[in-house]
Amino acid sequence: MATDLAKNKSTDDPVLQWVTFRLDGETYGINVMQVQEVLRYSEIAPVPGAPSYVLGIINLRGNVVTVIDTRHRFNLSSGEITDNTRIVIIETDRHVIGILVDSVAEVVYLRQSEIEMAPNVGNEESAKFIQGVCHKNNELLILIDLNKLLTSEEWSELEDV
Amino acid sequence: MSSKQSSGDSTVTPDDILNSYLDDLLGGEDPLGAALGEMESRITLAATAGSARVVPLPTKKAIEKPAEKLPVVKSASSHARSEVPPPPPKTSTKPRSLVQSKSTFAEPEIVQTQEQKLKLEKLLQSARTQLLVETPVATPTQVETKTSYIDNPNEIQEWVIETTEVTIAPEIVPVADILPTENVQPKHFQLDGLEWLENGRPQWAQSRFDVLLFQVSGLTLAVPLISLGQIQPLTDELTPLFGQADWFMGLQPTPAGKIRTVNTAKFVMPERYDESFVETAKYVVSINGVPWGLAVDSVNQPITLQPDDVKWRGDRSKRPWLAGTVKDHMCALLDIPRIGQMLIDADKNFIPV
Repeated sequence: MATDLAKNKSTDDPVLQWVTFRLDGETYGINVMQVQEVLRYSEIAPVPGAPSYVLGIINLRGNVVTVIDTRHRFNLSSGEITDNTRIVIIETDRHVIGILVDSVAEVVYLRQSEIEMAPNVGNEESAKFIQGVCHKNNELLILIDLNKLLTSEEWSELEDV
Repeated sequence: MSSKQSSGDSTVTPDDILNSYLDDLLGGEDPLGAALGEMESRITLAATAGSARVVPLPTKKAIEKPAEKLPVVKSASSHARSEVPPPPPKTSTKPRSLVQSKSTFAEPEIVQTQEQKLKLEKLLQSARTQLLVETPVATPTQVETKTSYIDNPNEIQEWVIETTEVTIAPEIVPVADILPTENVQPKHFQLDGLEWLENGRPQWAQSRFDVLLFQVSGLTLAVPLISLGQIQPLTDELTPLFGQADWFMGLQPTPAGKIRTVNTAKFVMPERYDESFVETAKYVVSINGVPWGLAVDSVNQPITLQPDDVKWRGDRSKRPWLAGTVKDHMCALLDIPRIGQMLIDADKNFIPV
């Protein structure tokens, strides 16, 4: 009986794993299922004519991966490259890209019921990247919907890079 | 049978039958003759309008047509074929005379006088007139359309598809109308206390009311206590969110939940905004009924105001959040319910509980 109750609870309120990273003093979370690997910062080759949110490309074991300037994408001020800077390789619906972050923190477990909807005031398009917020370990996590990080047109632009 | 015997005639000629029929049909008043003029005028009118055509019709069918309209005659006709037909009486009805003439004498050799021929011609003209009047049911346009499509089977198929679409289209429209509009358009959430009465004051200021004074970038603001929720300190946990309006400071976690904190200085006086307010703001005053709060520098003691103490604003189209000014305390009185309504209206993700 107790097992059934626990199973029902888990199906009604699933536990999701989020990889958290720091950016401009705030903590963000992305779905662990979309994270392929975390790389130390390496030289990023700029691409002439690329969109402004593209830092450049890196060579990942023979594959070319486009790296996104996450600060620029989130309308945050630009930061410095430190020892903690990481490139998180993520996989969306059809593409594999890298996002540059200040640091990677940990993997946290969040119940679906713990995630709250964030407000959306203003006219900035980037507000739609926020999937929700969650208060965990005395800090507020901003959960990012990676599938909305770029529009379909922008994904097409990346293919041309 | 008895009438035949009483007349004394042993044989009945086709002339007698036809005369009997015509006498019964035309009668003394000749109603068909009277109606003929009217029919001819209608034919002329239809022909000139192009909606009728002169169609050569067999005379025999024209005569049979009135008989088909009478079902009693048909049953009598079948009965007459199986049995010996009785001779037609002089006083018989019109249908019976016609049926007897057809069944008994299949191919009569008619001998007519000139007057009978004229009457018969009138009768045939009347029968043609009836047929011509009924003809416009099938319009010439329809006949031509069908004929043109028969030559090309592919075109016939396309034509059938088009007519199917035409018949389906009206059925789709009511289905769309059935959809409830309440599900399509989200219900607009509205806070209480938004209305202003005819005396030029809001609902919450109809009598003596308490207000809380607080400081924002050197400006004293007053808010009605009845519209306030709680006062929480702003901490390091205040988390800004990217992509929001510039007057949004961030989310302040509190034991009562996350307060969406408004940069009050930026909200009420953006032209005189001082960036230092972010550092000087100490508290967030939450608004009752909504998850929003106003960041303030400091909070003073509450005071009690009479409605006459306030100079209420008449035109609030420019700054609807400003209810009026309090001269005695040199402060602006905020319409907190209106501010709350503006905030939830601005939030695209707001879902009323």
